[in-house]
Amino acid sequence: MKLATTKKEQTRIKERSKKADEKQKNILEMLKSHGAKIYDDLDNGQFPKFSIPSRSVSNIVYDKKLRQYILGNNAALRSSRNSAQLRSFTQLMWLAFFANRLTHEKKSSTLRDVYYSSQAFAIEFEDQSESDNIIVDLEAVTSKPREDFHIFPEERSSIFGDLNIEYTIPGYEGKTMNLSNHPDGYSIGPSLTTAELVDTSAEIVIAIEKGGLFTRFVEEQIDKKFKSIIINTGGQAPRSTRTLLKRLHEEMRLPVIVLTDGDVYGEHIAMVIKSGSANAAHLRELTVPDAKWVGVWATDIEKYKLPTIPMTESDIKRCYDLQKDPRYQDGIWKKELDVFLRLKRKAELEAFSKYGLTNITDKYLPQKLELAKSL
Amino acid sequence: MSSIKEKFNQISPSEFFYSNRDLAGFSNPTRSLYTAVREFVENALDACDQKGILPDVHLTIKAVEPEKPDPKPYILTVKDNGPGIDAEHIPLAFGTVLYGSKFGLKQARGMFGLGATMAILYGQITTNKPVIVKSSSDGAIQNQFEILLDIQKNKPVIVKHTTKEVSKKGLSVSICLEGDYSKAGNKIRDYVYETSLITPYASITFDDPKGQKFSHPRFVKEIPPPPTIIRPHPHGIDVERIRRMIVESQFEIPTIDDAMIEKVRKDLGLSAKNLSFTAIMDKAKKKWKTLSRQVRVVIALMSFLKMDFEKLNKIKIEDIDMPNKKLFYWDFGDSQSKSIDMDSESQYYKQLTNTVQGEPLTTFLTKRFQRIGPTTAVKFAEFAKFKPERRMGTLSNQELVQLSDSLQKFEDFMAPDSSCLAPLGEEPLEKGIKKFFNPDFTAVIQRPASAYSGFPFIIEMGIAYGGDIKSGGPHVYRYANRIPLLYDEGSDVVLKVVNDTDWGRYKVKGEPPFIIVSHICSTRIPYKTAGKENVADRQEIERELRLGLQFLSRKLAAYMSKRGQADMAKKRANLYAKYLPQIAEFCTELAGKKKEPNYKKLLEENTIESKKVEEENEIGNN
Repeated sequence: MKLATTKKEQTRIKERSKKADEKQKNILEMLKSHGAKIYDDLDNGQFPKFSIPSRSVSNIVYDKKLRQYILGNNAALRSSRNSAQLRSFTQLMWLAFFANRLTHEKKSSTLRDVYYSSQAFAIEFEDQSESDNIIVDLEAVTSKPREDFHIFPEERSSIFGDLNIEYTIPGYEGKTMNLSNHPDGYSIGPSLTTAELVDTSAEIVIAIEKGGLFTRFVEEQIDKKFKSIIINTGGQAPRSTRTLLKRLHEEMRLPVIVLTDGDVYGEHIAMVIKSGSANAAHLRELTVPDAKWVGVWATDIEKYKLPTIPMTESDIKRCYDLQKDPRYQDGIWKKELDVFLRLKRKAELEAFSKYGLTNITDKYLPQKLELAKSL
Repeated sequence: MSSIKEKFNQISPSEFFYSNRDLAGFSNPTRSLYTAVREFVENALDACDQKGILPDVHLTIKAVEPEKPDPKPYILTVKDNGPGIDAEHIPLAFGTVLYGSKFGLKQARGMFGLGATMAILYGQITTNKPVIVKSSSDGAIQNQFEILLDIQKNKPVIVKHTTKEVSKKGLSVSICLEGDYSKAGNKIRDYVYETSLITPYASITFDDPKGQKFSHPRFVKEIPPPPTIIRPHPHGIDVERIRRMIVESQFEIPTIDDAMIEKVRKDLGLSAKNLSFTAIMDKAKKKWKTLSRQVRVVIALMSFLKMDFEKLNKIKIEDIDMPNKKLFYWDFGDSQSKSIDMDSESQYYKQLTNTVQGEPLTTFLTKRFQRIGPTTAVKFAEFAKFKPERRMGTLSNQELVQLSDSLQKFEDFMAPDSSCLAPLGEEPLEKGIKKFFNPDFTAVIQRPASAYSGFPFIIEMGIAYGGDIKSGGPHVYRYANRIPLLYDEGSDVVLKVVNDTDWGRYKVKGEPPFIIVSHICSTRIPYKTAGKENVADRQEIERELRLGLQFLSRKLAAYMSKRGQADMAKKRANLYAKYLPQIAEFCTELAGKKKEPNYKKLLEENTIESKKVEEENEIGNN
């Protein structure tokens, strides 16, 4: 860690912190205006109410232009007059209040932490899934991801590679860090997600599904060999990771490729990074439409003669489900899905170990990187 | 054959009941004590009901030796303020089996006063103590009897008889019997309690062996109208009953002895005079309407014999052959049998025919049954393939069966007369339920009279919810002819109907606090067993119970939905009171304000709204 000391750098820091302040100010302003409306209603003897975009299946539509799922125009009214909604109304009020404090004081929280914090305010949640759901409500009402309110998921994925960042969280403002200093990688938490991306020598981002392979890639110095930033998504990529991927793509102009297991779930992990999930249809900052899935494809199974295991019933059902998804109607997505269904077999990333532990990094990866250029 | 018959005759009714006392509910000390209480209390209430007296009944049970463990002898005393029993009837009434005053066809708790005698019999068997009866039927003199039963002879043995002056009418019966109060106590207390619910015009007290006093004062001052005694309905009749009715309707040819001749003279006003035959006939014609049947028969015979009193004294009627119109008699003077022809055109011939052969079918039907007029009687005769003028006395056994069958099958008889029934009435029933359970909701119904097998019946039902009623309902209180039925509820028709009901449909859920009172009034309750504890599922009764319960359930459902609304409003108000302050707190900080918004107005409005619903609810309930 080194301190930025030159004058030029200091100006830049100021600019950056100004930008972060701006963002914080906007969030606070928005929360305040929601609060003021409810305050006025109560003060005028009116039952406060607000409208919330409907997240029901019928209101989730695929937007071809945005290349992601978005919410339609249906909205539901949530009113404190309705005794059935009174509880969730109050929960959401509290969450806004709590998010306001977090944002104001620049403190971070997690989904689980939110659930437990509620008890201190005599707010009842049946279980964490109820409080998680209210958090999604707040996202839907404000059209902002929870990370903007300093609420992060529990699970952490990690990043490794030559990338300089500069923290914006309180106490670390202006401090910078190079993300290739620690071979275990850096966990993508609140401080990293909110950090400024300063510069990088990398030319590509490789998102990989599995922690084991991530470690192997670091050991094999894939970052250096292929001038890349390696990200472990830990299965389905958490939102903070997707946000980071998006920023690396947009702010650092880096192409993103995704490497997953050779099965239908892997294919969908890549798809979510590319165009989001139906669950997050109310948010629009989480997709990398130009991300490319490079493997393991179903066709790779045959091409590389990978050892396989048979697909389970749930794998096959998942294939049929995805065949109905508008994003799987053409190109590689449709083609690979069809081959999976034909083979009824799947292969793990580790399958390449059959041909040597470094086979995947020595042979497979270079071929795929080459191929990605033409995708 | 004849020796067997003699053997049967030697078993007196007392002996029969002694050996079959299980049937009457005297199977063990527990059940016996309970049954004895029932029999005496019911007799006391019946006696008062019949005379329109508001009953005061005092029940006392005392252990002879309190320290002894159960079962042990108890003295059971039931005292009432009823009409009492005349001294001359007391020994027979309490000292023989099958002696009673309740033989008429009307609704009463007991049928023949049989149970009380059974209790006395049981007491005597187990403790060898006499029954003590104290009775005053005039409110001045009280007769006190100590009576034992001679079981073999079915005769009373008066041990002691004294009299004393009193100021009140009434009867007190006291027996000593072996019982088990520690086991029977609950049922007896329930019995007294439930009896007072269905007899709200009675005041009932109970002093139990442990020194506890249970008092159930009357809370209805008017006694419901007493039932009237009526003739039977043709649908409710059998061959044996018809045979008995024919015997009742027939009249034996009187023995013409000195006493009879004296009576005829006296009735004609001819005690002193000796008139000629024609003069006697003239006199009889004039006085005909005032004459008794006996006398009329004698006159009719005289008209054919053409004899005056003196000659009449010297003969004896041997036979009257109506079909051949011949009259046979023994002449003491000539010492020989003689016969004369009877003129079938004579009005006296008809008189004799009635006497000897019984009434014509149509007369029999119209006079001795309810709901049959002359037109119906003729229509029935055609249906049953009898001549309308057919004499009842001439019916063969086979014809009697045919008649009985036809009476059951003929459908044009009107429904039984229900004036012989004494339902409690909706108002007293509702009052009783309200007093006993202090419920939030009560509904009662008295169904119109209906009939099964020729026996009229009326169903009365009540339903109540909430208040002091325990949860875990429906609790069913069963009554038949104002008697609570406490045992054997499992197989009872009322329970069947209640259990068949899907209470969820009536918005009654969980373990609801509610009760159902059902009262079946009938001249004959179709009990399943002799113990009189459960009512059989006669289709007609089941149907009426169902209709009654449906009506009440609908009312309950209406109440429940209002109650539900009020509960909801209350819950809602509570929700607002809980959540609005929190919303206010959070939005104050969120909006960056110091002072909380004035949300109190909203809470007030809510309270007002929920109050409104509650008020409506109360109005609906009243």
